[in-house]
Amino acid sequence: MLKLSNVEVAYSNVIQVLHGVSLSVEDGSIVTLLGANGAGKSTTLKAISGLLRTEEGEVTDGSIDWNGKRIDNKSAEEIGKLGIIQALEGRRVFEHLNTEENLLVGAYNRSDRPAVRQDLAMVYQYFPRLKELRHNTAGYLSGGEQQMLVISRAIMASPKLLMLDEPSLGLAPMLVEEIYDIILRFNTEHKTSVLLVEQNVRVALGIAHYGYIMENGRVVLDGSADFLRNNEDVREFYIGLSATGTKKSYREVKHYKRRKRWL
Amino acid sequence: MAELIQFVTTGITVGMVYALIALGFVLIWKSSGVANLALGQLVLISSWFTYGMLVQVGLPVWLGFPLVILFAMGLGWITERFALRPLIGQPILSLITVTLGIAFFIQGAVSFIWPKSVAALPRLFPEEPIHIGTAVVSQEYFWAAVISLALFGALSLFFKYHKMGIAMRAVADDQMAVQACGIPVTKIFSQSWMFACVLAAVGGILMSSIGGITFGLVETGLKAFSVVILGGLDSFLGAIVAGPIIGLAENLGGGYLTPLTWPGIREVIPFIIIIIVMCIRPYGLFGERRIERI
Repeated sequence: MLKLSNVEVAYSNVIQVLHGVSLSVEDGSIVTLLGANGAGKSTTLKAISGLLRTEEGEVTDGSIDWNGKRIDNKSAEEIGKLGIIQALEGRRVFEHLNTEENLLVGAYNRSDRPAVRQDLAMVYQYFPRLKELRHNTAGYLSGGEQQMLVISRAIMASPKLLMLDEPSLGLAPMLVEEIYDIILRFNTEHKTSVLLVEQNVRVALGIAHYGYIMENGRVVLDGSADFLRNNEDVREFYIGLSATGTKKSYREVKHYKRRKRWL
Repeated sequence: MAELIQFVTTGITVGMVYALIALGFVLIWKSSGVANLALGQLVLISSWFTYGMLVQVGLPVWLGFPLVILFAMGLGWITERFALRPLIGQPILSLITVTLGIAFFIQGAVSFIWPKSVAALPRLFPEEPIHIGTAVVSQEYFWAAVISLALFGALSLFFKYHKMGIAMRAVADDQMAVQACGIPVTKIFSQSWMFACVLAAVGGILMSSIGGITFGLVETGLKAFSVVILGGLDSFLGAIVAGPIIGLAENLGGGYLTPLTWPGIREVIPFIIIIIVMCIRPYGLFGERRIERI
């Protein structure tokens, strides 16, 4: 289980980005972290995975625990070896390597070759498109294929906690559905916890068990996916539905009428 | 005719050794984006160290060579660990400047420990030359080519199939994404420096078995630069193709032009090639053009 308590993060010792974020991810559950641009979602993921340091960021207060042990002072590779694997935002494939080599880099820390072979077959079964493209240079894959590859590469590390940063970014709705189906399938088949950062609130709450909403470096609302889906503020401000559940008409929009209650 | 064949064989074999040293440069460039300007000095110090082991200490070859390889690995490890790693995250120009500092440091250390300017290694290969048609090739040249080719073959297999090799290429594309996979990037950096120093040492031994140990070995490093620029900074294949081209140009040009022009023209030819290449193909013959998806 992953647990963040009052985590504060500052970049270059000056710019404070997170103001006391607390959240937890139960084993085997899908938890989503929602919010607008600049809310601190990606920073939260990087604080967990230890990648903050390469960007001159630092956890200045609070603690991050993984199964009861503090990990906020560990390096990215130590955290990776614990089984916490992050798929970065923006389809960062290794452009000059082919698809299969990309996947093998994901499995770098594993020494049991038969198991790696098995996972490779599993990933190809999840995304048959990747199997067709396994000898193609990753830089020339389409956006959707690259996103499949980035998720598959993280899966190849056999993670205990899979952290995905905006897997729906810039993809067609059909592809988003496909990728989300696979995330859900991987979670149910392997009982792997998933921490999912998204801006696409509707699809994220579609598969998540629990969700947190962030604004300005703080968690402003959290609850089960059902609770969030039915929360009037979430419907109004993140899903774009009016209180009655009909699609919002911009002709009748009255900005002064509703305010976010948490502000 | 015999003269031509002579120039061609010499050119190709010497070019292979340049290519070998250039591979070390490409390795570091690919994994960390640092241009290693201490290439020639690394060749120099490992040649002198070989001299120290084989002549001054008087060790047999079978014991001396593994020691040289160990020394080179240690040198690479120390350089990366203490000179470059503290600078990770700093602008790349600082890192390149540090390699220049290392170059001067090594040069100073060499003239401090071995004040002599010239020395010769004991004969490593049989004296009997090899006859190829009408040309005569001495064993040194022949073995230099063979060893370079064998090492190149082994390295390309390593980069294609070994997981460490694949990870090294991945680091070249995206350091942070490699870290996100839980791979220790710093270990990959130090490994690539160790590799590069071993290649420089082997190149140094081969060069000095041909021409003795002189300060000219530093120039070998400079010629390896021209190989890298001609072949493309990030291309192993480029290095192995461009090496013999530079070697050929140097020997043919030197052989035929010196009587017509002025002595020393052969030393200039590789650098003329660099300038022409930079004008026509700035990324080299086989350099990777950046993949841009639109």
